[in-house]
Amino acid sequence: MKFVDEFRDAALGRAVAGEILSLVEPGRHYKVMEVCGGHTHSIYKYGVDDLLPANVELVHGPGCPVCVIPMGRVDDGIAIAKVPGVIFTCFGDMMRVPGSGGSLLDAKAAGADVRMVYSPLDALRIAKQNPDKQVVFFAIGFETTAPSTALTLKRARAEGVKNFSCICSHVTIVPPLRALLESPDLRLDGFIGPGHVSTVVGARPFEFIPDDYRKPVVVAGFEPLDILQAIAMILRQLAEGRCEVENQYKRVVPYEGNLRALEVLAEVFELRPHFEWRGLGFISHSGLKLSEAYADLDAELRFSVPGVRVADPKACQCGEVLKGVIKPWECKVFGTACTPERPIGTCMVSSEGACAAYYNFGRFAREREVV
Amino acid sequence: MTVVRTDEDRGLALCADAEGARHAVETALVEPLAAGRVVLVHAGVAIASLAGEVAP
Ligand code: SF4
Repeated sequence: MKFVDEFRDAALGRAVAGEILSLVEPGRHYKVMEVCGGHTHSIYKYGVDDLLPANVELVHGPGCPVCVIPMGRVDDGIAIAKVPGVIFTCFGDMMRVPGSGGSLLDAKAAGADVRMVYSPLDALRIAKQNPDKQVVFFAIGFETTAPSTALTLKRARAEGVKNFSCICSHVTIVPPLRALLESPDLRLDGFIGPGHVSTVVGARPFEFIPDDYRKPVVVAGFEPLDILQAIAMILRQLAEGRCEVENQYKRVVPYEGNLRALEVLAEVFELRPHFEWRGLGFISHSGLKLSEAYADLDAELRFSVPGVRVADPKACQCGEVLKGVIKPWECKVFGTACTPERPIGTCMVSSEGACAAYYNFGRFAREREVV
Repeated sequence: MTVVRTDEDRGLALCADAEGARHAVETALVEPLAAGRVVLVHAGVAIASLAGEVAP
């Protein structure tokens, strides 16, 4: 594919880093949140933070789909997976997320039929191949993955597949951002907007950030140069006393989003009054459930689920990490009791989780900050 | 991914990823598509179709 190399060009990167240096006021500390876990991953994979001046700090946000799933939801999934005659399907990362009595992987080891899929469409295929079983898909993710679940449910309906249902834990990106902006523990100067979510919802939903909170937002792509350029654009807005939503990722993100995807989401889903986020607690209107028209495909109605709120383990500080209040390595169990192989918290499970990104790529950055 | 072939009746396209592996992708959200088009795919569904042959 063309142009990938340009987005990873070291000389261009240094040029943008020079621009960033020229935009910062000495003596001022800048905190910029990258909302999306995909950005966190790229930042540590490519060492983007090593190119920034010491007074520009990147703070990791809540945009990692697996990280925000609370223990109670995992328990609900496991309860369904253990029902005889059920084939339970989910994305690979979800299998390792700890619930109160183990993970889906543990349930599989104990005999439940839990299968990893890359897409809900694969789960629907399994349902068609196993008409005598009930196939349930554990739907997670932001507005990026929700269209895939919605289209799958529409297909299930159109093709009359009766043995397929979905336990819906999709979430929306704007409510947790508003909750973060309202929280007193965090003083942020600007946001790197989530590129892939914006492909679906557009850049417009982020206008409340400059309008209500006077902070710049730049929607960005995932190559190292995209992220550096977005940081430069945020710093330029700050230097010029502006705050607005800018779109650095125009090659993919239309300002209005993907209208067809939004229509499908509105047809298949509706907002839950409240949804619990791991570490962040209940946030109003932040989660999706199946709409009335699709209620017959709702696994939570087809099976009985505990639906109980389970407190995070005491040692777990994922909430603080997801809010950007602490760095992953400041968690007491980081890299000792909690590792990607044996995660205690969710942020260590997914490659988009801040703890996993630090653990896999960030040891040097950690040492640099400590010294 | 890059579109190799479309199957409009079924709303699918055969797409190749950066390593050349082929995947069936749902195209309802970005139609019409033609071979050679670059699409951004999430969980088996194309959510954006990119103008020109650029990196997503
Ligand atoms: S180290 Fe583990 S427990 Fe601590 S915040 Fe990270 S994922 Fe959560």
